[in-house]
Amino acid sequence: MKAEGNPVAIAPGTDLMALDYNVVLNEILVMRAGQATTGPIRAHMKTFSKRNLLVATLCLCVGFGPLMPPAIAQKKKVAPVEATPPPVNEEFQFGKIDLELLEQVNLVDRRFEREGIVLEDEATNAYLERIGKVLIPKGLKLEHVTWRFRAARDPQPNAFALPNGSIYVTTGLLALLDNESQLAAILAHELTHVMRRHTYLQNRSNRKKFLTANIIAAVGAYTPGGVAGAMITIVTTVAPFLVLATMFGYSRELEREADLKGIDMMISAEYPPEEMVRALQLLTNDIEGEQIKLFYNDHPELQERIKYLGSYLGARADKVTPEMELHREKNAYLQKAEPVMRHDIQLAINATRFRSAVFLALKLVYFHPDSSENVFWLAESYRLLGPRSQQLTEKELTNSAKKDAARKREKRTVEEEERELLATPAGQENAKAHQQKADELYRRALSLDNPTPLAHRGLGMLYEKLGRKLDALTEYHKYIELAPVAIDRERIQKRIEALTKE
Amino acid sequence: MIDDRLRTLRRLRYANAFGFILAVAALSPMAVRGQYLHPKVIAKQTTIRKIVILPAKVNVVRDSMKGPEGMAEESEALSVRVEKMLAEVLAAQKSVMTLSESTTTQADSQQKYMIADIQAKFDGLLPKVMKKRKDVKQGRFSMGDEVLNLNLDKSADAIVFIRGEGKKLTGGKTAFTMLVGGMPAYLKLMIGIVDARTGELLLYTDPILAGDPTTAVNRLREALEKGFKKLPAVS
Repeated sequence: MKAEGNPVAIAPGTDLMALDYNVVLNEILVMRAGQATTGPIRAHMKTFSKRNLLVATLCLCVGFGPLMPPAIAQKKKVAPVEATPPPVNEEFQFGKIDLELLEQVNLVDRRFEREGIVLEDEATNAYLERIGKVLIPKGLKLEHVTWRFRAARDPQPNAFALPNGSIYVTTGLLALLDNESQLAAILAHELTHVMRRHTYLQNRSNRKKFLTANIIAAVGAYTPGGVAGAMITIVTTVAPFLVLATMFGYSRELEREADLKGIDMMISAEYPPEEMVRALQLLTNDIEGEQIKLFYNDHPELQERIKYLGSYLGARADKVTPEMELHREKNAYLQKAEPVMRHDIQLAINATRFRSAVFLALKLVYFHPDSSENVFWLAESYRLLGPRSQQLTEKELTNSAKKDAARKREKRTVEEEERELLATPAGQENAKAHQQKADELYRRALSLDNPTPLAHRGLGMLYEKLGRKLDALTEYHKYIELAPVAIDRERIQKRIEALTKE
Repeated sequence: MIDDRLRTLRRLRYANAFGFILAVAALSPMAVRGQYLHPKVIAKQTTIRKIVILPAKVNVVRDSMKGPEGMAEESEALSVRVEKMLAEVLAAQKSVMTLSESTTTQADSQQKYMIADIQAKFDGLLPKVMKKRKDVKQGRFSMGDEVLNLNLDKSADAIVFIRGEGKKLTGGKTAFTMLVGGMPAYLKLMIGIVDARTGELLLYTDPILAGDPTTAVNRLREALEKGFKKLPAVS
């Protein structure tokens, strides 16, 4: 097995110094990208220009680090290991408010099931459960917690834990990850939120903040005139926002605790801990241009989390075991995730996340190029991408551009967006190129073993849009013939009727 | 100096009380917003005889001095009540069916996902409709022919989507709102009627009722009856 190309990759059997080397290299890459680093070599880098000798030493360390014998290397730990709290919050006592919250989340769980949010796929949910149960410390019993691990049908990459022990990983996140260890990292993080009772603690904290916000509002309403009054008025205008802004997700401290504790749990369950960093790096890929920075947000940013996790891992410098390497296997994971990924591409298309759909379909085709279904999904994604560009430009990924795009999304319908784009030369070019790609891929899907009838439906829709009515009719008829009990049979029949009338 | 401050305080109290009365007036039970009809309905090109009501999604919260608290159980009960009430009101003019009565396929996970996806599609369209309600009159909004994937009874002409939100205030918060100002308790519904074949939004209305949402719903019937008067009846 080979470690995937990544600045923090650890080869099998790597010694402890090699891990330091990887951390160093990662930080150098971060600095090259023009970002600040808080890692273990920060102190050295500060005096970089002053001391040439240090440069030479650093180069030697980087160059010969992996060659050092393990015994020497083990002494080169870069920083003391940060102490993490025990897995369970023993001091926590249930109060009335906590029990009320518990009652609410139990109902939320049921609602998720009833409303089709839970993915009813036994294999996927059993896979999640197996990984989750491996991570939970043996013999651990928690009051009011029943562990349940399930996939949620949502194309947005996300995961969340309810305090009753229900952990949900969205199909969007399952499709984005590259191996089982990354999934374990996500689950370990969420498990910590439950075990350390973070939701209850956050709820208590929020309630205090709300009370503060109300008091501030009351003070503001009866402000006296003059300078003091103006000051209170400003605080009243700004403070509730600041108070409320800290309520997005957990506080920085709790998130950090879940990250670091998650690393400990991964190591205990023999999962390579640096995969948590890689999972976070995958999340920084802003395919849809929706990661908008707010004025103030207490949730630690992904880059910040990547940095402190890098430092923590460097300080711990754990050995990589063969079992850990096994858990890094990409193909084994993708084999399990393949059906979920296909399901997620459909969800991404429904949610007009066409760029994500193309990204995931390309990943699927790269993994399993001979699958007719995978090739169909790539064709479908390109067809629906239409006049949009496949990737956002640097300009489109600036914060202000993302805010503008979000505002437009709120107002415009998909059809209006397409019409606007088709009025531009770039949009016309994109539409033509994507239609061509879709046509080729649908045909390829039909030429492979076990061809999916869905490719005929796709071709029908593509030709209908292009005004090739007869070709569209032929493809629709083929689809109905090959998939007589398809859920969308009625829809295609209606299209055939309409085209025949014309 | 002190007198000035006291006068300012009194003036602010009056302003708040006035604002509160205005808010209550604006949210009075009869303050049903306009109903926006698709031109095809106005021109009677589309006739709605049979309607299928999809499960309502009404969420209410209890607002206390310590912030909003969930009311999951009450929200579920309210969703059922609103759905039933709307069915009763519409039954006076149309033939009304619930989803389970109208589907031709079994309720397996595939069908469950399909309903969830269509409901999600309406949720995606709703903010755009709410931003420019009047554009319903121009036939601007459509959910596309994907609605046919619901595999409803062939005679179904339209699908009803119901969303709702509301806020119940605790005693402390009510007193606080009266003194300081703020949003009083309310129940707001967002109802869309969509063509079961083309997915076009045929009607949109969003009645608002003041007061505790769990009891305000009792006054909803009258508002709904008034609200759907514009919908052409079928002889």
